[in-house]
Amino acid sequence: MTRYLLISIGLFVFGCGSFPKNQGFTKTISSESIIENNYFSNKNTDYVYKAQIIVYDQHFGGLLIVKKIQENTHRVVFTTEMGTKLFDFSFLENDFKVNYIVDDFDKGLLIKILKQDFKTLITETLNYDNQYKIGSQSIFETSLYNKKHFYFFNNDSLVKINRTKGAKEKVSFQFSNISDSIAENITIKHYNLKLKITLKSIN
Amino acid sequence: MYKPMRSLICIVIFFISVNSFAQTPMNNQEAIALKSLVKNRAATTKTILSDFTQSKHLDFLDNDIVTKGKLAFKSPNLIKWSYTDPFKYSVVFKNETLYINDEGNKSNVDIGSSKMFKQLNKLIINSVKGDMFDDNAFSITYFKIDGLSLVQFTSKDEKLSKYISAFHITFNKKGDVEQVKMIEPSGDFTKIDFVNRVLNNPLNDTLFTN
Repeated sequence: MTRYLLISIGLFVFGCGSFPKNQGFTKTISSESIIENNYFSNKNTDYVYKAQIIVYDQHFGGLLIVKKIQENTHRVVFTTEMGTKLFDFSFLENDFKVNYIVDDFDKGLLIKILKQDFKTLITETLNYDNQYKIGSQSIFETSLYNKKHFYFFNNDSLVKINRTKGAKEKVSFQFSNISDSIAENITIKHYNLKLKITLKSIN
Repeated sequence: MYKPMRSLICIVIFFISVNSFAQTPMNNQEAIALKSLVKNRAATTKTILSDFTQSKHLDFLDNDIVTKGKLAFKSPNLIKWSYTDPFKYSVVFKNETLYINDEGNKSNVDIGSSKMFKQLNKLIINSVKGDMFDDNAFSITYFKIDGLSLVQFTSKDEKLSKYISAFHITFNKKGDVEQVKMIEPSGDFTKIDFVNRVLNNPLNDTLFTN
């Protein structure tokens, strides 16, 4: 019984630990307080990605199209390869609008997941609360739609965003093959759902 | 809206469309002749192999999204779209299933339960042949444009109109489809141009696998 109690307390303490502590980050201090994600920030660029989505072992694909229409406004559209539009969202600074969605996708929970993921992808500037270091990576702790996010930079290049809850990673956004402020490859992985979105730039 | 205002808008829209496309409406005889040419052509078309260029137009983008590939069709209802550029993706429409090969990832989609998908599938096959002259499903208007024929099929079906409000099909003089344009209610569209078309070469059924 005592052993069980100790294990439970141990798990409880572990479960409630912070994400930075669990990951072994070292806290650092800087005079700056803003970080930037420039991957969808150019108004003159049509961002077009071939998307592969694996949800509960079902695979489907399409094209993800992102465009910055004006300051703080993005359009995010998903079509099939053959051009059929599946959804069309507008993100304004503090607003979100569904311009179009096919009936099969018109489900509250799905829209909420997509809205949060894309909001993370397109948000350009954030104030951060804490700064850490691990190896050569700089990590910034910030809050987006009231959820804790950690931004990982390698030499000024954003390589990963983690959305966390307590000490746990909930969603990760990985950016790779970065050139001229375009991430050629983006992977969005959910840890509490069987959902993975892989994006490959085609423009 | 006031009637005079509405008439004015109609007149303006009419002139804009006449000017921008330089298209003239066909008379009844010309329309009947085209319809019979296309129907005959479709009836004698057993197979089609063609290259295609697809342009997806979204109003908010600076450029259309252009993809290219090959189409294979075998009468009555086998069809394969193979995209080769800028990515590899192919889809075979067979019976009531879509067989997809997405850069090596294979999957099937059963469309048997979806009336809408079945209808779209049938329309895609018919539009490849050009034979969509169904007055119950569409209101149909005929135009001449630079030596070609343009037929606009505007959907009467409320459910279909939510996805595609009109098909605009351009035919060459032989009655072959040169271009299919599928227009969404928002005005955004998908345009497919066919080139290097070969008709009635024998095609093995094994081509239509994924």
